[in-house]
Amino acid sequence: MAIVEWFASTQQAVVGGVLLWASWFKLVHRNASANARRSVLARIVGTERVGAAYRAVGVVEALLGLMLLAPPVLAVEAYAAAALSVGMLGYLAYGKRKAPDSSCGCLGEKHAPVRVRGFLRAGLLLVLSVFAATATEWWPVNSPFATVGLVIVELALVVALSPELDRRWLLPLRRWRVRRSHPLATHAVAVPVESTVRQLWTSAAYRSVVEQLSSDLLDHWDEGEWRLLTYAARTPSGQATAVFAVPRLAYEPDRVRVALVPEEKGVLV
Amino acid sequence: MAERDSRAPFTAEASWFCCGAAWGPCGSAGGGACGNCKSGSRHCAWPNTSDACYAITRPDRCGDDLLRRTCGHTFYVKNLCKTTEIAVKIADCGPQTDLWCGEESCCSGNCATNRLLDLTPSAYSAIGSLSSGIMPVAIRS
Amino acid sequence: MDILGRRRFLSSAVLGTTATMVTATTIGSVAPEAVADPKLDVEAGAPDPNFVEGRITGIAGGLLIVTGSDRTLNQIHLTKATSVWKLHPTTADAAKVGDGLYARGVRMPDGTLAADAVWLNIVNIQVHITSIGRNVMHLDHHGDRIVGHVVTGTTAAVYNNTPAVSDLSLLEVGRHAQVIGAWRPDTNEVDVATVYSAA
Repeated sequence: MAIVEWFASTQQAVVGGVLLWASWFKLVHRNASANARRSVLARIVGTERVGAAYRAVGVVEALLGLMLLAPPVLAVEAYAAAALSVGMLGYLAYGKRKAPDSSCGCLGEKHAPVRVRGFLRAGLLLVLSVFAATATEWWPVNSPFATVGLVIVELALVVALSPELDRRWLLPLRRWRVRRSHPLATHAVAVPVESTVRQLWTSAAYRSVVEQLSSDLLDHWDEGEWRLLTYAARTPSGQATAVFAVPRLAYEPDRVRVALVPEEKGVLV
Repeated sequence: MAERDSRAPFTAEASWFCCGAAWGPCGSAGGGACGNCKSGSRHCAWPNTSDACYAITRPDRCGDDLLRRTCGHTFYVKNLCKTTEIAVKIADCGPQTDLWCGEESCCSGNCATNRLLDLTPSAYSAIGSLSSGIMPVAIRS
Repeated sequence: MDILGRRRFLSSAVLGTTATMVTATTIGSVAPEAVADPKLDVEAGAPDPNFVEGRITGIAGGLLIVTGSDRTLNQIHLTKATSVWKLHPTTADAAKVGDGLYARGVRMPDGTLAADAVWLNIVNIQVHITSIGRNVMHLDHHGDRIVGHVVTGTTAAVYNNTPAVSDLSLLEVGRHAQVIGAWRPDTNEVDVATVYSAA
């Protein structure tokens, strides 16, 4: 069937393109050796040999990628790419079990531990490689515009399955969505206790008793324009409660008041 | 470039971190960079314990030129608002200074800039409240 | 005295006076160092005898039984002068078995700790904000995912160390942040008390 044939031959471009992209990243990218050292590969071959191993993988990917993109159309190229994907799945499984903090080191330099998306991506490439093995025509020959369109769609799918590339598209997209909808802006605007406490810290009243305070904030309540905060205190005369009155709706630390109330006795201040 | 010679007292912001066999989400679960860090002991983290540490924390990006101090070095730390001074030993690498350049903490007029020290919960709670998250301190060796 | 009565009493004590500072003459002329400070006696690097960390494994009245990360058992007394933090200041009955705990106090001769301050499930994490939704932020903590729940009336943001506000709309996806929160035990979720971020 023409459509099936067209789909299969297009996969040569997709798989070849992804392999070339992966190889570029390993051979040409300026941080290639740093990424190699942080990857699961470093755990497998050791840090002295990882640079060479990483480049060797890159060379294999580049050769396969070029062979897939260029004529003639040979099934063995696609089978080799499928074998590479199987090896990739094994590599990811090893990484997930033995080196869960290490990066995949596959398609981008951002540190990205091995997760489900990585497995899905390798599985997808395996399936597309098998499809490519059934092709008989060179990929740009049939309906070139539709081919390019399909290649773009499939490459976008590969990007969506690559966590190391998230910061290039997913984070900016989320940022744009948050800027538009402000999901956290609907909370009632009230002065949080945290704000009052931080105003207290800047006041001279706090400074004058801070050495005697023995606890963190005990209690707080609002009274008119004030918010009252209490702390336990140890004074030379015994246990006491430090009560602060802090302006609730204004930032005026100079107006903060304090009283040290001894336990079970009259007021000290 | 402000040279923070830790032989003379200097001011900085300090936060706290958990380490050791800790409960909950803990960035330094395990013994920390020095292997012996514990939340219940008087330990701290310093941004220049080694070249690898410095490469992560990059205090120079904030204009701070910190001396190399390795695991086991003792600092004396006090909250800028109080007189109590405690002694802590370096047991980990941290904080991530270059993410917070220019940040300032104050308590009644005494201010300090840049995060240069992290304390264990035991050390931090001796001179402040854990719920405060960050405080201005004076540090000397 | 019940809690409302006590609050009224304390309010009148502080609002009935215009004193804004407590000077040395009003509390006696004893120097601060004379109040024996247990915090000064601990060597650098040594375990702090007046501090306990661990998880609550039992509660009996005002006594908390805590198993430390090194498996030691500690008993902690809570009194009316003990502050209890669990996302916000609360009372002793908020403590539950399974809660993570830090406590500072005074070690008694019988080995128990008389607590001055207890913090339950408190975490202080350096994160990157990966996503923001209604009432929730998704955080990346050294490669692990943490869900941060926003609690109306409590969660506050501090931007560039200016006074805390409850307006969280300046938080940006992709930025780093410091989060003080209350861990929900045995999950990867926290309730957020404070978020520190650059605006």
